[in-house]
Amino acid sequence: MAKKESRHFDFKDVEGLQVYMTSQGLLLPAKRSGLNAREQRRLKRAIKQARFLALLPYTA
Amino acid sequence: MTDHKHYYQAMFLLDNQEVRQKGFNEVRDWVRRTLEKHAISVPVLRLWGEREMTYRVGTRGRATYLLGWLEAAGNSINEAKRELYLVGPVFRCLFLEEAAIPEDELALGIPAIADHELVIPEEGAETDDESDDFSAREEEKVAVGSEEENDG
Repeated sequence: MAKKESRHFDFKDVEGLQVYMTSQGLLLPAKRSGLNAREQRRLKRAIKQARFLALLPYTA
Repeated sequence: MTDHKHYYQAMFLLDNQEVRQKGFNEVRDWVRRTLEKHAISVPVLRLWGEREMTYRVGTRGRATYLLGWLEAAGNSINEAKRELYLVGPVFRCLFLEEAAIPEDELALGIPAIADHELVIPEEGAETDDESDDFSAREEEKVAVGSEEENDG
């Protein structure tokens, strides 16, 4: 059986990251995002990088 | 200190006022010179975009984003970052270590941008509109108030 490829997240892909955020600018929990633990960590890192560069809000 | 080279992706937030005054190409060259002064090789340094920030940084509401792919050794990134924050048009920057520089990015290199290609809107444009709306609303209130007085 082919192994499912792990997802990567880029801080520059603002629209792609916003899919995993609530309307208040918070990161969705893994239970709702449907990502595994490694992907969830990558997503968290990318969102924090985008927030630092003012591409995403800390709070909305 | 080790001479082992690492690849980095870097994003620089440039002050729009300085970009407008000096021109994008000059500001980009200043960033490149500053990085090269600290023995950082800069194969790619290009305009990523000019956009509104999601929150204000100091007095700035908009910024010009400069994307770079770098090759550096040892502690040179920290030294360059310190200098970038001390002087010049860069008010925020992020360096991320990467495994390699993508081929499509390498092909872009350091392109020159014509002055008319980068249009930077005035910072106060939106606030002026808001103040106009506010004054219009105030005028409406006064008009309504005076009508009510007349009715009474």
